[in-house]
Amino acid sequence: MIDTNGLTRKFGNLTAVDNVSLHVEDGEVFGFLGPNGAGKTTTVRMLCCLIGKTSGYAKIGDYTIDKESDCLKIRKMVGFLPENVGLYDSLSAYRNLDFYGQLYEVPEAKRRANIERLLTLLGIWERRDDSVGTFSKGTKQKIAIARALIHDPQLLFLDEPTANLDPEASKTVRDFILELKKEKRTIFLNTHNLDEAERLCDRIAILKGKLIAVDSPKNLERSLYNRKTIVHLETMTEDAVAAVKRIGNVKSVRVSENKLILDMDSPEKDNPEVVHAIVEAGGKIQYVTELRSTLEDVYLKLIREASA
Amino acid sequence: MRLWKSWIVTRKDLSVFRKNKYVLYSLIAMPIILGVVLPIIFIFALNTEIGVGTLTHEQVLAAVNQIVGIATMYFVLIPAILPSIIASYSFVGEKIEKSLEPLLATPTTDGELLLGKSLASFIPCMVVTYVGAAISAIIIDVWAITTPQVNIFLIPNPYWALVIGAIAPLACVMSVEANIIVSSKVNDIRAAQQLGGLVVLPLVFVVIFASTSAQLSTWLAIGVITALAIADVALFYLSKATFQREEILTKWK
Repeated sequence: MIDTNGLTRKFGNLTAVDNVSLHVEDGEVFGFLGPNGAGKTTTVRMLCCLIGKTSGYAKIGDYTIDKESDCLKIRKMVGFLPENVGLYDSLSAYRNLDFYGQLYEVPEAKRRANIERLLTLLGIWERRDDSVGTFSKGTKQKIAIARALIHDPQLLFLDEPTANLDPEASKTVRDFILELKKEKRTIFLNTHNLDEAERLCDRIAILKGKLIAVDSPKNLERSLYNRKTIVHLETMTEDAVAAVKRIGNVKSVRVSENKLILDMDSPEKDNPEVVHAIVEAGGKIQYVTELRSTLEDVYLKLIREASA
Repeated sequence: MRLWKSWIVTRKDLSVFRKNKYVLYSLIAMPIILGVVLPIIFIFALNTEIGVGTLTHEQVLAAVNQIVGIATMYFVLIPAILPSIIASYSFVGEKIEKSLEPLLATPTTDGELLLGKSLASFIPCMVVTYVGAAISAIIIDVWAITTPQVNIFLIPNPYWALVIGAIAPLACVMSVEANIIVSSKVNDIRAAQQLGGLVVLPLVFVVIFASTSAQLSTWLAIGVITALAIADVALFYLSKATFQREEILTKWK
């Protein structure tokens, strides 16, 4: 659905987006993570044909972002939620959506049906005639999401969809994105909310001007420490340590107080053998856990390395 | 260019303007001042002059026609001034509501967007101008018919038709386009209105010139119409050329 190769954007001497190459599959929820000023919004604006590129290549579906004629088609096929909701406060929720539905060339009957379906789904159909200015931030965000979906696009660009929302409103928006994911829509999600990215995204790209990493949240988490098992013993004994060291698949053993920290490639396969060996050696196991790095650990490490 | 797309933008802007009290009151105040107050002042002045009783019928008609000519020229000022209030909201208003980014993300071309914005300013300004001109014409004609020394319908006349029918809308288009160019370049409504107000100056000079020389001659009127038409077309293309989506999105705060 999205293909970029060496996509670059400069503003004077500042390179906001540097040589970004990525591929987003149909139906994938792709997270774009990065600190403020990392180039996330600039990338989305280039992909939505709102601003031009300095160099490189980008394709949305069958269209390239270079040609003006293709840009009109790209704008028609994508839904876009900007960081600021940008609704008309003096107009009603219905009128706001109707206006955009017309600009996206949705026939009147379908437009009416879409507005009703979306506002009902988001729980604001009853307030459709109220001025948007009277709504809370969370409700405005919901209307802005409905606006991005008014023409039923298969590709959605969501720029910080839960920024500045309270936890309850954030959850509503996240749940709605999960619904969209079930509908197999392709979603390009700009965020610096790591928890949100982990919960929603199939794959995550970490950006700081340049693309630092692209992988699934799970693989990114594992990439930091490899896979480690922690065995908590009632009392640490030399026999238990020696027994574990004899297991061929255990690559390294570290002792920390009454814990054994073991490095293994396939803990699911090797953990039973480890447990058995320790018990045989007279060790008393309290519990066995996996040492996991969080996405936050990985993110911070990668961003610090990129800044160094 | 798809005109129906422009019309969608126009209708939305008109809905927004209707909800904006500042814009609404400005639109209502203008025809009241120029359509009602101004003719009453002129009538008062004419009654004073006629009341002396020393003027012949021809002299009375000449004085009346001169004043009606001046009053007519003031209806060029309405469509020249009002766009600085309305058109300044067109892009600055979108910037303030931060609604420009989703609007620019729709499959709408620059020309369609600019035409829609232009019409949204042009239509209310001309409606107000024509309402004001009609009210003023009724007041003046009622006075003229009921005044024995005059006793004829003064309006409409060819000069009035030329000014109201051609010069006023062309002046309006010029002002709208100039104000839209200003509006797409600045971030503040007051700055947009002040800068936009500057474009009214040449038209004020035309009105002052016309006021001192009673009426525009036919050739001068044709010259003014041609100049305004050329300026209108040039300004529309200039607004298209200076309308940079990227600049608007990346530079406004």
